[in-house]
Amino acid sequence: TAAPRAWPPRRPWLRAGLGQLLARTDTEQRIEIHKLRQGDNLILGFSIGGGIDQDPTQNPFSEDKTDKGIYVTRVTQGGPAEVAGLQIGDKIMQVNGWDMTMVTHDQARKRLTKRNEEVVRLLVTRQSLQKAVQQSMMS
Amino acid sequence: MPAELKQMKDLACTSDSHVHEQSPSNQTSIAMMQEPQEMVEETVTVEEDPGTPTSHVSIVTSEDGTTRRTETKVTKMVKTVTTRTVRQVPLGPDGLPAMDGSSPMGSYTDSIDRRYLKNGERFITPQASSTLTRSYNSYNESYPESHEGQYRPYIGHDGYGDLSDSYGSLSRGVGYRPRYAYVPGGTYRPDDGSFTLPSRRENYGPVAQPQVPVGSSVDLNRSQPERFQPEPYGLEDDNRSLGVDDEGYELDPDYSTVNRRTSAGVPERGRPHKGRGYDDPIETEMVEERIPYLHGGYAAPLAQPERGSMASIDRLGKRSPSIDSIRKDPRWRDPDLPEVIAMLSHPIDPVKSNAAAYLQHLCYENDKIKKDVRHLKGIPILVGLLDHPKPEVHRKACGALRNISYGKDNENKVAIKNCDGIPALIRLLRKTNDMEVRELITGTLWNLSSYEPLKMVIINHGLQTLTNEVIIPHSGWESEPNEDSKPRDAEWTTVFKNTSGCLRNVSSDGAEARRRLRECDGLVDALLHALQSAVGKKDTDNKSVENCVCIMRNLSYHVHKEVPGADKYQELDAGQTTGTGGSQKKKKDDAGCFGGKKAKGKKNGDLDRNFDTLDLPKRSEAAKGFELLYQPDVVRLYLSILTESQNFNTLEAAAGALQNLSAGNWTWSTYIRATVRKERGLPVLVELLQSDSDKVVRAVSIALRNLSMDRRNKDLIGSYAMGELVRNLPSRQQRSAKNLEEDTVVAVLNTIHEIITDSSENARSLIQTQGIQKLVAISKSSQSPRETKAASHILQMIWSYKELRNALQKDGWNKSHFQSVSAAPKGSKGTAGRSGYDDSTLPLVDKSQDNEKSGSRDMIPMDELGPDGYSTIDHRDKERKYKTIDNIGDASEKEPLKNDTNRKNINRSNRASVNLVDARDIKPQPVDSWV
Repeated sequence: TAAPRAWPPRRPWLRAGLGQLLARTDTEQRIEIHKLRQGDNLILGFSIGGGIDQDPTQNPFSEDKTDKGIYVTRVTQGGPAEVAGLQIGDKIMQVNGWDMTMVTHDQARKRLTKRNEEVVRLLVTRQSLQKAVQQSMMS
Repeated sequence: MPAELKQMKDLACTSDSHVHEQSPSNQTSIAMMQEPQEMVEETVTVEEDPGTPTSHVSIVTSEDGTTRRTETKVTKMVKTVTTRTVRQVPLGPDGLPAMDGSSPMGSYTDSIDRRYLKNGERFITPQASSTLTRSYNSYNESYPESHEGQYRPYIGHDGYGDLSDSYGSLSRGVGYRPRYAYVPGGTYRPDDGSFTLPSRRENYGPVAQPQVPVGSSVDLNRSQPERFQPEPYGLEDDNRSLGVDDEGYELDPDYSTVNRRTSAGVPERGRPHKGRGYDDPIETEMVEERIPYLHGGYAAPLAQPERGSMASIDRLGKRSPSIDSIRKDPRWRDPDLPEVIAMLSHPIDPVKSNAAAYLQHLCYENDKIKKDVRHLKGIPILVGLLDHPKPEVHRKACGALRNISYGKDNENKVAIKNCDGIPALIRLLRKTNDMEVRELITGTLWNLSSYEPLKMVIINHGLQTLTNEVIIPHSGWESEPNEDSKPRDAEWTTVFKNTSGCLRNVSSDGAEARRRLRECDGLVDALLHALQSAVGKKDTDNKSVENCVCIMRNLSYHVHKEVPGADKYQELDAGQTTGTGGSQKKKKDDAGCFGGKKAKGKKNGDLDRNFDTLDLPKRSEAAKGFELLYQPDVVRLYLSILTESQNFNTLEAAAGALQNLSAGNWTWSTYIRATVRKERGLPVLVELLQSDSDKVVRAVSIALRNLSMDRRNKDLIGSYAMGELVRNLPSRQQRSAKNLEEDTVVAVLNTIHEIITDSSENARSLIQTQGIQKLVAISKSSQSPRETKAASHILQMIWSYKELRNALQKDGWNKSHFQSVSAAPKGSKGTAGRSGYDDSTLPLVDKSQDNEKSGSRDMIPMDELGPDGYSTIDHRDKERKYKTIDNIGDASEKEPLKNDTNRKNINRSNRASVNLVDARDIKPQPVDSWV
């Protein structure tokens, strides 16, 4: 009953996905975001999670689950943050020079949403995918 | 002897119909399943190809990598951004800062434009949202969220156009970006329909405004100390954030305005990127520029057509040797399989989807990888991703599962089942409107359905859903047809093909499976409608029709024993006409020496002739559901298929259906037998005895035998079919003109035997068609004991007609030729013994059937269907809830600004927000705040 296996010609396939290449190192970088005026509001187009008043174990992005830092949880498609290169999972170290590693969630939010600042300069660290993968393999 | 003959006939009928139902369907289904399966696989490939650029855009947008092509674009864009927009671009070697935003922006813009053009003033917020979604995620994968069928056709035509447009507008969109702040929202109307957006903003804008005057907050802001202090206007900030939440649309006008404006000035590029992205020298050069950015974290290169990538490398190699160093760069390497599987659990969605897509690729035609994935516990993760709200993710996961489920290694199938993959697939099927995802789901289920132990699982979890979601809608059947509209035709879509293939496989899983399918609401109705549509359009050769006919054939098997209320018809029938009458008649004939045959035959003929005038039972209401299986109406359908189709499998199945329906001893089979005659079906069947296909000949032959239980049919078949039947027998020189299989030869022999039983006229026509020579040859020299045995039975029967002996002896035959079985030394004993054995297998088969049937009847009460239905409903409700959340979550992913509205109440449950779960239940404190 073996079926005749008429294989289709192998098509050029997408070498899928995330690429077969893994970066081996974490990166730290500066990102400058120009806020977008939206009515009378200025928005950055991303959301943050974390803070010293939050449960760090819930943070899916952190390598160290005691890390209470501020992380980028979502980025608006086409929004200013994305345009500037911010990525989900980035850890925000500084905002316009202010330390963000030991702040409450709300403090971080306010720091980012100052009305008088049209430009926000972030220092972020980005975990290499390789490390992230290894990390998730261990857990 | 008489008893034996009768028994043989009955058993043979049973076994043959059994064979018909079980093994052919199984075998062919498996065969089928593999072939189409493969095609499915290929389909994916095909579909992925064009889809790639799109998804890459979106992926680029996100964070990790892209095809070279896309990256190229991105690079361009980055340049622009760097110079114009972002004044202080990240300096690190890994920069890639702006690459993400622009491409979505472009596509987003473009789609909005188009939406505008299409919808004109009717453009309203919800539409905007779906537009956004779709443009973000590329036209394919956004169907599920956009969930408006209305867009589909449009996208179908224009999807690529969108894409290229977005490409085209990428850089410029960004270049113009700084301007958007200055765009006067309410007044700028670059395009015809676009004014709606600004006007909408005007409408909503005021509502969105924070309560606190802007000016004051600004002032307060300025006066703030630099460090973290409780900020008095925190409320304002909240409001603002709320404002953004509530009026997420606010962002749209700006974006769309900007983009619209930019794209308005950008000439459409048409489709260049889809087809020849690599051919663009400019783009190629850009790849070099991409390199520095590559290293930027997740921006790993993405899937690319292998050929394409090679080509580009070649070309680039000439242009810039440095490109090769990408591959050899010590900083980069290919992920190994455990890593890819680990990536499936990565918190970033594009990593998940890309990993799944890569797995799909790796598994293609590679059984070892499939096995490795199983051993590495990748299958449960993939199954888990089926519930992921993002289309990109569950689609890729489904694609991987489809490839993994394909093949002879049933353990992979079992592994999918063991982690509840089947209900997960069914859930996703209910949830998604994306045709490609539906094809993947049903393709996977088709694969799974080829393995016996999974058939009942599929029935339990998916039967009604598959019927409701696919079979019924695509069949064109409507349970309550609109009087005004004419009946819809079936659509032979891939989804329908896959689903019908799956049901075809599971329909062969025994009495219980048949019962479930028969009683599945709307299934039989829809299948019949589809087949009628096929006949009407003379489109009866395709695979879907084949699947449908096979299902019908299988469901018709043992219908006279298995459907509810069959007893009623049985008693009536057995008491009055064929059943008892037939056997009594036979006994009488046999007992009363061979003399009275003619008279008896005539008498029986008269008796049977009653059936010609027999009125079919009047129905107060139209038959529905499984009743349709055996209504005489179906005869015309099957005969049409037998006339029209060129597909051997379909022909076999249609003949098999008639065979099954005419086999029983109940009233309906009596009607069926008469109807075949009245619909002039006998010539159709006889003609098919010339078919080149072994199995068609076999099925037709057995159908003819069952039909000849009707006396009138027997006379006609004896007169008109004997020549064709004999022609199919092997001659001494060659096994047969067609070299038919043993099964077929035996079937033909058994049919001949049935036809000449109780009919010396038919026996005479056998002699006249030179059948004796072949029969003697078979009985003396066939290598097959079954053939020998069957031929000997015929010869004995012929010899028993004393009125024919003269003619036989005139032709040179003598008694020894006809009694070889008992007398002749050669093979006689052995043959008889073996054929006895052969016979004994028939009852065994029958018995097992009976056991199975009664067993299943005992075990499965009819109520069972109820709970199942209920549970389905329950699932659905759960699904719905889940779906709502998912959709919201998903949508918010794409356009968070807008969806924050919802998010306040329903936080995303599945993704990436710190403390999200707690926060949702407890308090308003933002744990995941938009800024």
